[in-house]
Amino acid sequence: MKVDINVNYTMIPIVGNKVPLMLTISNLHASIEEKEILRGVNLMVKAGEVHAIMGPNGSGKSTLASILAGKSDYEVTSGSVDFDGKDLLELDPEERAAEGLFLAFQYPVEIPGVTNTYFLRSAVNSIRKYRGEEDISAKEFMVLVKEKASKMELDPSMLTRSVNEGFSGGEKKRNEIFQMAVLEPKMCVLDETDSGLDIDALKVVANGVNALRSPERATLVITHYQRLLDYIVPDFVHVLVDGRIVRSGGKELALELEAKGYDFIKEEIAAKA
Amino acid sequence: MNSLLDTTTDPFVDGYAAIKPLLEIEGLPFFSPLREQAIRTYQEFGIPTRRDEEFKYTSLRALQEKKYKFGFGANVDREDLEVFTLGLIEAFTVSFVNGQYAPELSTHIELPEGIYVGIASDAPADIQDEIQAQLGKIATLQGRLGTTNDERFVALNTAYLGEVAVVYVGKGKSFETPIHLQYIVSDKSNGTYSTPRVLILLGENAEARVIESFGTLCGFGFTCPVSEVRLAASARLEHTRYQDESLDSIHVSNTYVHQETKSVYTSNNINFGCEVARNDINAFVDGEYCETWLNSANVGLGDQVIDNHTRIDHAKPNCQSFEVYKTILKDKAEGVFNGKIFVYEDAQKTDAKQTNQAILLSPTATMNTKPQLEIFADDVKCTHGATIGQLASDALFYLRARGIEKSRAEALLVYAFAAEVLEKIQIDAVRDALEARLFEKLA
Repeated sequence: MKVDINVNYTMIPIVGNKVPLMLTISNLHASIEEKEILRGVNLMVKAGEVHAIMGPNGSGKSTLASILAGKSDYEVTSGSVDFDGKDLLELDPEERAAEGLFLAFQYPVEIPGVTNTYFLRSAVNSIRKYRGEEDISAKEFMVLVKEKASKMELDPSMLTRSVNEGFSGGEKKRNEIFQMAVLEPKMCVLDETDSGLDIDALKVVANGVNALRSPERATLVITHYQRLLDYIVPDFVHVLVDGRIVRSGGKELALELEAKGYDFIKEEIAAKA
Repeated sequence: MNSLLDTTTDPFVDGYAAIKPLLEIEGLPFFSPLREQAIRTYQEFGIPTRRDEEFKYTSLRALQEKKYKFGFGANVDREDLEVFTLGLIEAFTVSFVNGQYAPELSTHIELPEGIYVGIASDAPADIQDEIQAQLGKIATLQGRLGTTNDERFVALNTAYLGEVAVVYVGKGKSFETPIHLQYIVSDKSNGTYSTPRVLILLGENAEARVIESFGTLCGFGFTCPVSEVRLAASARLEHTRYQDESLDSIHVSNTYVHQETKSVYTSNNINFGCEVARNDINAFVDGEYCETWLNSANVGLGDQVIDNHTRIDHAKPNCQSFEVYKTILKDKAEGVFNGKIFVYEDAQKTDAKQTNQAILLSPTATMNTKPQLEIFADDVKCTHGATIGQLASDALFYLRARGIEKSRAEALLVYAFAAEVLEKIQIDAVRDALEARLFEKLA
């Protein structure tokens, strides 16, 4: 299946105030073992938008993704996160998922003994239960899964294999986006989804993400490199340095970073100080 | 000798004299001297206490306290087999009730030439010769490195040799149909003891899949099986033991394997049942380029005790062994793992990997684990890893991040921990049935 991946998504209209805020991060501070990693992050994402967060290693990008998903290793010391009207930080990880937040992991976990299909059906039904809906029927589920798998060019044998066990790096990432396609979240957070991917795998993954773009859904792409953003074209780019967003702009900011490196931003900050 | 027998208070020694005439009828003539020798060996040791090195963590005091009687047959109908996880699987089945052969619950179809599955006394004369040449020769550690020579339960089993189950697959033969040796305890009044004996002989380049299953229809038992396996060059055996006897039963099993050049032995040792279950699996790898796979899944709840001892003797060069033992313990259950690997001086290029993992689901559950590697060759690769702990937090978070509630995610991971072992079983129907049973056991 060949899909033109160079669709210009900036054509999707962003209609000022009428579009509801999906995610509002206000002055978020977080630390791990007394070490402060996030030092006042502010970010607003509306439905339909794609935001990219870029930054050098150790700037706090993955920490931000983990905190949004509810990983308990980090302590939020101050600030708040509003997710479509809910206080996100008050919710358990499974409640966040059921509310429609999805994190595509940088390092998807291998779970030997649980097949992908069983895992995904458990996820679908848990989320349905949370929303007061009936379980999905086995037949309905298989139809859904097969359709999404073929869109993600996922080898059908991966469905019956244990979750991520023995998958290549590319297969793991593709599996993440496949899960995202099945669960149809309101908010997609992609944590360094491009790491470890060759160009062909990157295109497949990007196609999968782009196929999910819609006026109702927001996407947050966290990445170190500009490369992914050639394929998932963002509406906004933010630069995270030392736990703060130091600069925001349009998609051209990513190109500037690619050309000049992160040092120029650090130097700018230093010059201002 | 008679005076010795007269003064004992050991129920299994007492029982022997009374049962001997029956055993004489059931067995082959050459069993008699083996029995006589074995009862004397057993009597030297008797029922073990925790002062005995081999039984340090596992109390078998119940063997003395419960009044067991020798198991005679009982009426079990085909419909009764439904209650057993593997009772109705498609297989060439040989059933035993309270240790006695039950032809009415067994398969009777003609087997291909060069293959025999059934009891020793029904075997053709040439196969009986093979049985005579091998029986009792495989089940021994005498003269091996680091043995305590404590093989009392092998002796007890041999003392009661009667209807020995035999799987014989001749040179170059392959038997596709799974062979199911089914041992059922059915006893409405008292505890029953039985001593199932299995002899599996695979000729050169032969292949078979054998399942031994142990279950209780009613009552409780003391089951003391011994299985002897000999694999000739390039033979391949998948050997599954599934023990799921009632929770007031005791099970003490011994499996001995002798491997020749390029043979492949796979053991799937599954334990869900019994008050006390103790299994010893000893593989003597006596040829080059062999593979030995020991897989095991164990679940203990309540007051269950599950004790697994394994021993692999790498006597020849260029062999590989892979051992994965997993145990789930809850409530006050106790687990024991002792994994011995001996690499002999000649056994260069041995590649041995041993993994032993336990998950404790409550603070009162205990696991005792002891890997024991003794390596006398210098060019070998041997690794062992033992972990005792709780569920992996990263896996738990991953499941929860997909919307699965914490309690369900935990249950799923516990199941998966053991299911990973069951997945290795190559017979689909057996694997599926055991996975369903595991799910039920953990529910």
